[in-house]
Amino acid sequence: MKKEVLARFLVVFFVTLVILIFVLGWQKNRSQHTGTILIHARMPENGGWSVTSITGETNQPINLRLTSDDVVHGFAVGKSDQPTVELIPGEFVETTLLFDEPGTYTYYCTRWCGPNHWRMRGTIDVQGEEAAVTNPPPLYLQLGIDIDAPHEADVIPSEPVLLQKGAAFAEDLPAYVFEQEIYLTNSPANVWSRLRAEPDLSALSDEDVWNVVGWVWQENTSPAAIKTGESLYAENCAACHGETGEGDGVMVRDLPKPEAEAHDMDDPHSESTTAGLTRPHDLTDPDHLLGASPALLSGKIIRGGMGTGMPYWGPIFTSQQIDALVSYLYTFAW
Amino acid sequence: MKLQVTGSDLINRIKNKWWFFVLLIAAVLIIFVPLPQAQAAAVDRHLRIEASMYQFTPGVIKVNRGDKITLDLVSMDVVHGLSVDGYDFELIADPGQTQTAAFIAEKTGVFRFRCSVACGNLHPFMIGKLQVGPNLMFIRAMLLGLLAMAAAFWSLRKPFPNLKEVNH
Repeated sequence: MKKEVLARFLVVFFVTLVILIFVLGWQKNRSQHTGTILIHARMPENGGWSVTSITGETNQPINLRLTSDDVVHGFAVGKSDQPTVELIPGEFVETTLLFDEPGTYTYYCTRWCGPNHWRMRGTIDVQGEEAAVTNPPPLYLQLGIDIDAPHEADVIPSEPVLLQKGAAFAEDLPAYVFEQEIYLTNSPANVWSRLRAEPDLSALSDEDVWNVVGWVWQENTSPAAIKTGESLYAENCAACHGETGEGDGVMVRDLPKPEAEAHDMDDPHSESTTAGLTRPHDLTDPDHLLGASPALLSGKIIRGGMGTGMPYWGPIFTSQQIDALVSYLYTFAW
Repeated sequence: MKLQVTGSDLINRIKNKWWFFVLLIAAVLIIFVPLPQAQAAAVDRHLRIEASMYQFTPGVIKVNRGDKITLDLVSMDVVHGLSVDGYDFELIADPGQTQTAAFIAEKTGVFRFRCSVACGNLHPFMIGKLQVGPNLMFIRAMLLGLLAMAAAFWSLRKPFPNLKEVNH
């Protein structure tokens, strides 16, 4: 009988041991990931981010565990210097976010993952003691510019614009052309008309006045800004606007071309002749680009839309990044 | 029925099977003899390959040996890659960012190129073909097939030697 008791005791002991191993392992695993938010990234057609809103507090780290379920995605937080995290299918990455200012932040996918890639966005609501910083409204709202209105240039250069040639006339120019305010709120075509009307510059040929305008535009930016704009454009814009800016990017190949002035905002009965979305405008078309002021272009980038599928970049790009992009866009014109 | 094989019998059998040896030698020749190839002068080729889920367009590239091949990889939807089996060559392209690289096709044969970045559930089947020089395997296989057909007709024309032996 003693042997039987021993055997029973052993059976009970081993069964308990097996159960304990699993329970302890599970608990250990759970305690490791408490306070960590698990986010799965999927193509927008399959649901996008599995978590689309996160709340946090200032100076409290937010731990994230990220993975991709299908294709290569990227994770980044707009208007912040948190590093971009690459999400490879089947791999887990951990990252920690730390915000020192309260506010609502947007996180977004950084790698093209389909035509609706830009819809992959979520928000992080950061609460804090100090009041949220309020930025002044963007320039296009301050000026009341209608960014949907057609903005064809009255005049366009008949020959290629040579920026260096414009520098030769720097001393003859009126002082206002160097004001940043003038650059931001005027289209190149406007500035050209204004300079053309100056009696002091009547000796210059039309082409030389264009060279001056191109040079003034170049003076209002820097090579570093153009470089930043170029890389932002390649990563975020070129898939639709085309690598050369012609509006023929791979994502919009099947869409119809935009028809000039097909849509009139003031007429409630006016409808775009093409149902649904159109391609973006050709940025290399001087008629279109030289009639736009930097304020107008940055407004378009901030708000998006315009009858196309353009996303809004306001919550993603900093104002410096938008200025850099705008200055890069003008390089398509010269 | 003969139970013992005599010397003259063996010679007879071998004599009757001469065609078998001819066949064997022809097959070995077809498989191993280097075929005379017209070597085209090496040229620079600039190719554009569009990668979309889940195919390469064009999916078959034919070049000559020694050609310098410059590839533009254009991604149409998500991040795709292109790596060529047997060559140390890889490209990864995001939509809107065409990637370009060049290599010299110094190895002849048929090589697969595959998508090297997981791009969805059918990603493993995203394959294309790079053919450098003539497709020798295909030519040899065709010749072997023709030889087999010729041998079949030959054996039908002549009664089997073994049967003749059993009959007399």
